[in-house]
Parts: sequence; C-alpha cells; structure tokens
Amino acid sequence: MAITRRELITTIAKAGVPAAVAVTAGCGTLQAETIPVPSAAVGLLYDATKCIGCKACVAACAEANGTPPDTRGDALHQAPSDLNDLTRNIIKLYKPADGSPISFVKRQCMHCLDPACAAGCPFQALHKDPETGVVSWTAEKCIGCRYCTITCPYHIPRFQWQGFNPRVTKCELCSHRLEKGLKPGCTSVCPTGAVIFGPRSVLVMEAQQRIRNTPGRYYQDRVYGETDNGGTQALYLSHVPFEKLGLPELGSESVPARTLRWQRRLYQYFAMPAVLYVGLVQVIRRSLKGHEQEAHEQEKETGLRAQL
Amino acid sequence: MNRAPLNDDRWRRAVPVYGFPVVNGFFIGLSVLILLAFILTAYRELAGLGPVSGMNDAYGWGIWKTFNVMVLTALGSGAFAVGISAWVFRRKRMHALMRMALLTSFLAYACGLLLLGIDAGRPWNFYWIVFPWKWNMHSPLAEVAICMSIYAMIPLAIENLPPLLERLWYFDSRLRPGVEKFERRLHACFPWIIAAAYLLPGMHQSSLGALMLLAGERVHPLWQTPWLPFLYLGAATFMSFGCVAGTTMLCCLVWKRAMDMEVLDDAAQITAWLIFGWLGLRLLDILFRGALGTAFHFDRFAAVFWLEMILISAGGWLLRRSLLHHDKRHMFLGYVLSSLGGMIYRFSPTTLAFRPNPEALYFPATTEILVSLGFISLGVAGFLVAVKRLAILPAPLHAWYDMASYFRFRRPYIRWTGYFKFGYFGDDEPKAVQSD
Repeated sequence: MAITRRELITTIAKAGVPAAVAVTAGCGTLQAETIPVPSAAVGLLYDATKCIGCKACVAACAEANGTPPDTRGDALHQAPSDLNDLTRNIIKLYKPADGSPISFVKRQCMHCLDPACAAGCPFQALHKDPETGVVSWTAEKCIGCRYCTITCPYHIPRFQWQGFNPRVTKCELCSHRLEKGLKPGCTSVCPTGAVIFGPRSVLVMEAQQRIRNTPGRYYQDRVYGETDNGGTQALYLSHVPFEKLGLPELGSESVPARTLRWQRRLYQYFAMPAVLYVGLVQVIRRSLKGHEQEAHEQEKETGLRAQL
Repeated sequence: MNRAPLNDDRWRRAVPVYGFPVVNGFFIGLSVLILLAFILTAYRELAGLGPVSGMNDAYGWGIWKTFNVMVLTALGSGAFAVGISAWVFRRKRMHALMRMALLTSFLAYACGLLLLGIDAGRPWNFYWIVFPWKWNMHSPLAEVAICMSIYAMIPLAIENLPPLLERLWYFDSRLRPGVEKFERRLHACFPWIIAAAYLLPGMHQSSLGALMLLAGERVHPLWQTPWLPFLYLGAATFMSFGCVAGTTMLCCLVWKRAMDMEVLDDAAQITAWLIFGWLGLRLLDILFRGALGTAFHFDRFAAVFWLEMILISAGGWLLRRSLLHHDKRHMFLGYVLSSLGGMIYRFSPTTLAFRPNPEALYFPATTEILVSLGFISLGVAGFLVAVKRLAILPAPLHAWYDMASYFRFRRPYIRWTGYFKFGYFGDDEPKAVQSD
C-alpha cells in the first residue's frame, strides 16, 4: 500500500506510451486541419459600394422562404431592426458620427467553409452540404440548445423565443429554390446588382476583377471571405473597414480549427480517454483491495457492519 | 489497528442525523419553491423561453445553463475530486467524506440535468443521444451533454447505492442474504465503475470550459485562453472540496456533531494546494498571453477579475492559516470564500465576461430566477431527506450507539424506517451477537 507514488508513475508511464503513439498517429488524419472547398460550392458576392439600401432583398427573402412579415416594430411595416426568428436577411446602415462615408451592409449567413455553428452543434442539426456547401438547419435533430447562437462569429443563427416548438432561423441560401434551378430570393430582385449569386470560384474571380479595375476603391483591396475564417461562401467587397460592417477580422484560420485543436486532438479516436480509463481501473483495483481489508479489520474491532 | 483511539472525535462511521424531523419550516419553504418551479416549468414548456426568461438574441444562454449547470456542477464535482484523492492518491482520511461527496455530486448533477432538459428548446429531440453515430464527436457540447447524463445516471448513481443497500440490510434480516449477494457483485465491478466516475467528469468538466473556446473574441481576454478547459477542471476540484468539506462542517455545526480535525485538516491542506496551483496557472497564463494590462482597465471586467482573484486567494490564505491553529472558523470561511471566487470564475466566460457582438444586456427574469432557485431547493431538500434517513454524514463511533439507544428508549414506536427497527438495532450486529 505504501508505494503509491511509484505505482502511480509507472501506471502513467504504461498508459502514456500507447496514448502518445495513438494520438500522434491520429494527428495526421485530423479532418479539421485542412478545409476542403465543396465541389459545387455556391455563394453570394455583396458589393457595399453598389448597394442603395432599398431592402428589396429583405422582402424577397421573406417571400421566398414563406416567413410572415415581421411587423413587431411598429405593428404596421416590415421593419426588423436586426436578424431575428422571422428575418434571414437584412440591410443595415453604417453611419459614422464624424461624417466619413456611410455604407449599407447586407447580413445573412456567411456559409463558412468550416462553420463554427456546425462544429458545435451536438447532433448535427446544423449541417454543411458536402456538394453545395450550404449550411442548413434540420428541425428533427435540433435540441434547441442555442449553442449556435454562441459560437457563430458573425452572430447569424437566431432562436425563436416564443412558442413551444421553437426553430432556429438562418439563411439557407434558398436551397429549395436552387433545386428548382432558381436563384436565391435576394439576388433575384437586387436592382443594382449589389448582391449576385454564383459558384464560389467564379465570384472570387469576379471580385478580384473589380478590385483590379478600380484600385483603391475597396477597403484594403481585398475580398472578405476569400480566406477569412478559413474562407466563406458569402463574399464581401466594401469601401469602409469590414469590422464596421460586423465582419470581424478573424484571421485566415477558421474558428473551430483554431480553438478546438487540442480538444480534437485529445479526443481523437477516443484513444487518450480509453488508455486513461484502463490506468485508472488498475490503480483503483489496488486501492479497493486495501480499503476493503481495512474496513473488515475495523468491522472486527468495533463489531459494527463495515461501511464501504 | 488495535491501538486505543487517541482522538474520540475521529470520524469512523457514517451515521444518520437522528432526532430531527425531516419536515420542518425550512423544508416546507423549500417545498413551496420546488412546487412553484414545477408550475413555472409547465408554463415555460407551453409559452417558450422568451416569456419566462431574460435570454435574448445576444445572450442565448441564461442562468439555467450558466449558473445551475456550469457553476453548480463544479460545486458538485466532489465525487470526482475527493474521490480521486481517496482512491487514486490514497489519502485514506478522505474516505470519511466520500458519502457526502457522492451525495452532493449526485444531487447537483441530477438537478442540473433536469434544468438542462427544461432549458433546451426542443427537448424531444434528445432521443438522438441513443444513436452514437449521429453524435457530432468533435462538439464540446455533445461531449458535455452525453458524458454528463451518462455519468450521473450510471457511475455516480451506482456509487450512491451502498448507503441504500446498507439501509435495506438493517431494515429486515430477511433481506440480508439478498443484499449481501448484491453487494458482493457490486464490489466486484466497483473498479470499473469508479474509474468511469473519474474519467467522465474529467472529460465533461473540462469540456464545459471548451464550450466557450468557440466563442472566441467575445469572451474577454482575461478569461479566453486555450487553457480554459484545464482551468475549468481545476476550479471544479477546489470548489468541490470546498463544497464537500464546507457542507460537512456546516452539518456538524447545525446538528451538533463532533468535527474530526484530522480529516478536515487533510482536506483543507489539499484544497489550499489546489487553490494556489490553480491561481499560479491562471496568472501565468494571463501573463504569457499578455492580457495582464486589461486587468488594470477601469471597467466591469477588471472588477470581476479582481473580485474573483481576491476571493480565491483570501480563501486559500485562510485555509493555510486554519491549518496552523486548527481553527474551524477560518477553515469554514476559507472554503466559502474560495468557492465563491470559483463560482464567479465559472460564471464569467458565459455571462459576466461575455461581450456579444451588438452590445446587449442580460439580466435573468423573475420567473427564470424562481425556476433556478426551485431546482436548487430540490437538491437541498433531497440532501436533507438523505442525511436524515441514510448513513451519509460522518460521525465518531459513539454516535452510532447513541442513535441505537435513542431509538430504543425515545422512539420505540417507530418501526418502519430502516435503522430504527425496535430492539434489533445495536445488538443485532453479526459480530456483537457472536460475542454474547
């Protein structure tokens, strides 16, 4: 009983060797390290310099998705102040106090290549389509934990706070229209072409072409979403800093890959926990033997039934 | 082992709290809160989360998750932390606290899980939990939800069986062969069960911290760190020691039991080391990430940070001090302060130090607080019933004989509750009968 420390060290050593092997062997195939672009990735390109803020896309989005107009603001007009359980798409205005240029911004799901919402979703209710790359929500799998509203770096998924059967609302790129060969609702009505729909690769080229044609017009001469957050399928061009439009600078690595690296590595193939478990069983088996013996000695001494 | 007891206050046996009625004014108050919480829960299931809580689009998680689960299961990790010190590191004195630890853990987890089910918007979809191939294996939340429910329902529940079996054994001599057979089988599989009871909380208590990793920049830099899972686990260890030892001390005070300072000193020593180790790691982490500057900004985050730091270090200091003078008052205060500090730490990343993209405020609604309180009351009420009906609370050996004579002479008419079987209490023990 007295060799606790030595026994502990040897047990850890015994447990550690195969664990280290298993985990390092597993690391090569860690899925999250490389983010593949889906084969038929489609997306949106929004150019803030072209947007006139007419909000036709907001109405078209509601119509295309069959959501009732959100008139909760003044009980008359469809005027949601932000994305919410009835609003998948919204136009917002950035108006700095110092009189520098204003900008509209269209907010909807970015359809990240490595979505944080899907990485956190416990039962894969939020799921990225392997072909089109559309991130969509499945009612039958969602437990309503609202973790997606915590994880999304763009703060897109919204939970329905009223009613016994709440839903999570987010842009699903009108996948029901795509199946019929139609464009998403918002892109089909935009009068100035500020938001366009197409394959992601084509949109990236188009955006780069615009930057080349008018150098200095766009912020940092770059497309937001080409590499940001591991790449997104909704791309943005803007003349004001992206941060002002609610598009944070997240770096080129996706949020899940950056933050869950060690978490994923530790649980890879469940190797580490399994080895730890076996080690624990060994130690506890010996402790239990000693403890039972002591309990029986005490039983003899006191004449009272042992309490294990 | 046959030496005469040096210290008559040594805790040698778990003894039920006898001579106090279960139903008293306090218990009725708890029952009212529980009933109210159940009624409000029914309303919540019909009306949705919005009408009963202060949660909004910016703060998707309210106190049901962030306090009742994140904070209270940390206090209820006693079965993990005290258990590891007793079974893995073989601090034998800790065995005296094990039944308290197991009971508080089970109640904290059970009440937390119940509230988790109420907090979920679409709880009927929880059935996916039985299809492992549908899990998102890399999601920290899946890890927490699955691991926590399995832990509370299987290893932790089984670990809590011995006091119940013991009661059956004393209840009726006809049950004894069956109970003994079952106990033998249980003991045979104990190593696997106990090991699972340490692995699983180690996994989900750290994954609770990993939950907030995905929130990225929205958690203030004083809290957001890759070490968050480890710090969450560390906070759970010293908080749960505080909860188990502090609750035991409080019970001894309330029900006038002797305190075994050998056991309590040992627990305080372990807790103090855990606290200082944790504090060191936390400060080093902040220092190396270069976030220390934000602690000196004049804002609410710095205030919360310093409150947490001061409470935890003051608690640790009081515990060290209590060891020098065997001072129960300082020890208890040390446990309370360090646990409060730990509670603030566990509460911060999701709520106090959470900065949602559009600035927004969250304050729990009255109904939300009442439901939260109701489920805490459920745990407290369960605890009160358990310590008064089962052998949970440790006591000196003489307390057992005191209880036997109490029931023989003062309450001879109570025949239906296990330990209290008239006339067959103290002297119906197997060894005592042989020696007659």
